[in-house]
Amino acid sequence: MTYAQAVADGIWAAGTARVGYIPSVTVAPIVTALIASDGGADGSSPRVTPLSREEEAIGVLGAVAFTGRLGAVVMQDNGFGNALTALTTFTLSYHLPLLVFANTRGGLGEYNSMIHSISQPMPAVLRAVGLPVIELDRRSGPEDWHDTVREAGTHAVMTYRPVVVLGSFWNTDGKVA
Amino acid sequence: MKRIEALGVLAGLTERHPVVVTCAATSRELASVRDRDNHLYLLDAMGLVGSVATGLALSVDPSAPKVVGIEGDGSLLMNPNVLPTGGYLAPSNLLLVLLDNGVYGSTGALPTYSARIDLERLAAAAGWTTRRADTPDGLRAAFGELLTVTGPAFLYARIEEGNAQGIEKLLIDPVTITGRFTRWLREVHAVSGADA
Repeated sequence: MTYAQAVADGIWAAGTARVGYIPSVTVAPIVTALIASDGGADGSSPRVTPLSREEEAIGVLGAVAFTGRLGAVVMQDNGFGNALTALTTFTLSYHLPLLVFANTRGGLGEYNSMIHSISQPMPAVLRAVGLPVIELDRRSGPEDWHDTVREAGTHAVMTYRPVVVLGSFWNTDGKVA
Repeated sequence: MKRIEALGVLAGLTERHPVVVTCAATSRELASVRDRDNHLYLLDAMGLVGSVATGLALSVDPSAPKVVGIEGDGSLLMNPNVLPTGGYLAPSNLLLVLLDNGVYGSTGALPTYSARIDLERLAAAAGWTTRRADTPDGLRAAFGELLTVTGPAFLYARIEEGNAQGIEKLLIDPVTITGRFTRWLREVHAVSGADA
């Protein structure tokens, strides 16, 4: 099992009803796996669809919770800057479960000379606004990533709030950037 | 047509519809006209009405009454992605009502782009079926026409500038809105996690 497949399987194992994604080269294999397992192709499937910005992803997938189900967002961590108002004034304030998986940028294996400016402080920024953040990296295998993503979704449902899983793909079988 | 007149018309037309309402004066005025459990007031989160309404429309039973979003021009322009995203995902049961007064009505009445940018044409270009109204009767008629549309529908309503006077602020804990709206969805439309 690849790390990407583990994340995709973990998202479904959490009982996720619908997934929205904002493209990045790192999460592309996760998205491909999600779409394949949902019977789709060419970037979308009945329950997995693209979105153009992280803020709207929080609105679209956060709304799933009003129907008693769980939505999930797959994105890259530099997009949290676009999503903080929606995460705090919508999903956190309205007590809406939401599973967010984001790959990290700006760390080991990064080529971009400025993306660390937003990505490096992001775990602290997310925690500062009250979001639970779980971090994954090379030190655990795909099975652990799967179980962690699945349990993060369960945790979101049990605690009525968004939960963020940050995954660093450096020194895994995935691509950092 | 004043905003509160338009909201009075919409309140009369949406008793069985999930209704997502934009923040500030629009939410307050709707609540003053009619406060019901099917109203999901977004007390902040400016610009998110179309996104939340789209997510709801994709998640509720398609046979349920259309999800209605009530949005302002300033708020839509804060997240115009709503239009291409709604056109692309194309939920069959989404109706977005835009109340355009040309200004940021709750924040000093500074002008929005809408004097120069035709928001109805923008929606049409993104794949929404549109209608236009500037009177209460016209609003009622256009709403009825758009209820028959399968796919994202956009009702552009031109309203006068200015807020209704003497309206109380909507000082509700958002989680109570979640509770009553979710319960209403479950009881009226049998929405349940069991069919996930």
